[in-house]
Amino acid sequence: MAARCLWRRLCQGSSFPVSYASRVMQKQCFLPNMDLVGGRFSGSHVHTEEPKTNPLVSISDEPEVLYRRLSLLVKGHDRAVLDSYEYFAVLAAKELGITVEKVHKPPKKIERLTLLKSVHIYKKHRVQYEMRTHYTCLELKHLTGSTAAVYLEYVERNLPEGVAMEVKKTKIEKIPEHIQEPVWDTLPQVEEAEVKS
Amino acid sequence: MQLLFQRWRQQVAAYFSTPAASSREAQQREVSTRRRGRMSQLIRSHIPPRTERMAVDQDWSSVYPTAAAFKPASVPLPIRMGYPVKGGVPPPKEGNLELIKIPNFLHLTPPAIKKHCAALRDFCTEWPSALDGDEKCEQHFPVEIETVDYVSAGTSIRNPKARIVTLRVKLSNLNLDDHAKKKLIKLVGKRYCKDTDVLTIITDRCPLRRQNYDYGIHLLTVLYHESWKTEAWESEKTEEDMEEYIWENSSSQKNALDTLLQIKATENVSNVTKEELLASEVVRNYRNSVIALKNEGETESNMSQYKESVKKLLNIQALP
Repeated sequence: MAARCLWRRLCQGSSFPVSYASRVMQKQCFLPNMDLVGGRFSGSHVHTEEPKTNPLVSISDEPEVLYRRLSLLVKGHDRAVLDSYEYFAVLAAKELGITVEKVHKPPKKIERLTLLKSVHIYKKHRVQYEMRTHYTCLELKHLTGSTAAVYLEYVERNLPEGVAMEVKKTKIEKIPEHIQEPVWDTLPQVEEAEVKS
Repeated sequence: MQLLFQRWRQQVAAYFSTPAASSREAQQREVSTRRRGRMSQLIRSHIPPRTERMAVDQDWSSVYPTAAAFKPASVPLPIRMGYPVKGGVPPPKEGNLELIKIPNFLHLTPPAIKKHCAALRDFCTEWPSALDGDEKCEQHFPVEIETVDYVSAGTSIRNPKARIVTLRVKLSNLNLDDHAKKKLIKLVGKRYCKDTDVLTIITDRCPLRRQNYDYGIHLLTVLYHESWKTEAWESEKTEEDMEEYIWENSSSQKNALDTLLQIKATENVSNVTKEELLASEVVRNYRNSVIALKNEGETESNMSQYKESVKKLLNIQALP
């Protein structure tokens, strides 16, 4: 509840769009004239009519998680596959309204090994293998928890075979309440009291 | 051989009985007739592939709704792939293993992606418009938690690196006074970066990510509250422990005052007190220049400032 009140204070004055809920979505920020049915409300600017209710969508009470940046590093053996995947991921992000900050391609890494060509002796004759790993990095900015969950699930389900992905999420949070003030001011006079957790 | 003959007879009979052959049957026939032999070529020439019945403006997302292998009879493109024969062209798409091996994105054409996103848009929420810049984000939400998820194909979907949690916070956003800040920096050691004023805590000692996150928050809380405490032994802090140079009660102050007192004694001026000397402007300038030199290091401006203040202190005008 405290988290929601914080949200309300934060969102004072800024207009918020109509909240679409997610399959288990968090409640969006509130304007003072809340208490509408289902927690849905209309922002003062764009939408003039109530959106059609999607029966699959349900709103939950938890406050929305905020991700300042989502960094997708895709690794694969084939540059063409990664390029196609990057096109797909960028288009999906644009369609869902996510800002793509940067798309860059770190240089490839080649891992080489040298083995003996023959089963027995013939040390001078070897064979060399290499494994090439190509990278593509996609950086997205400013996502909410629901949007991130939806986008990541869509993009991860369509990951082609033989391609790996690392998703780095940077979540932003407020300072927890127990760090706002030093606790020694409020403790009673007992010195060397129980250790504060 | 007997079996093959019977199957061939059955298939030809089936073809003549159902004129509209479905694509799956055609493909099965193609798969089974990929074995070498004249009869297979005869069959293939009889049954046209599905591509010849495809309209130009068809709905492609119903041909490839999900990820599927490349089917040459279902893709109406004249693709060639592979190493060309000497003096020739790459092999065609029929029976081309290279095309089947490589992952294809035929199920993710732009119209298909737009359709999927239109259906998914209902589940997305908007970023609050009040937090449009990094500075605003930091002002309202100063703590940053970084976690990494790993997706790869293998015998196991778990990755032990996924439990690592990195907590970053700027000390200027925490409620700390001077002593608390210095004590926190000493407690934390290498985890604090002086240039960016960021404290980084990386936890991975617990097996689960949620436990590591809780432990990180616990560490931050403990550091914060311990740094506000003043222990009895902290009063024994010596000059070597100090993080920055303090001029009061230092040897530089003593030397300056002694020199000035001696100068005043030789000039037979009436006794000026130490407080008067300390409050005078020349001594103030000298103090500021010495502090700047010690704390910031030697730069051109610092050295010239020190030179000017010493000249004023000792009343030497002659030297340039």
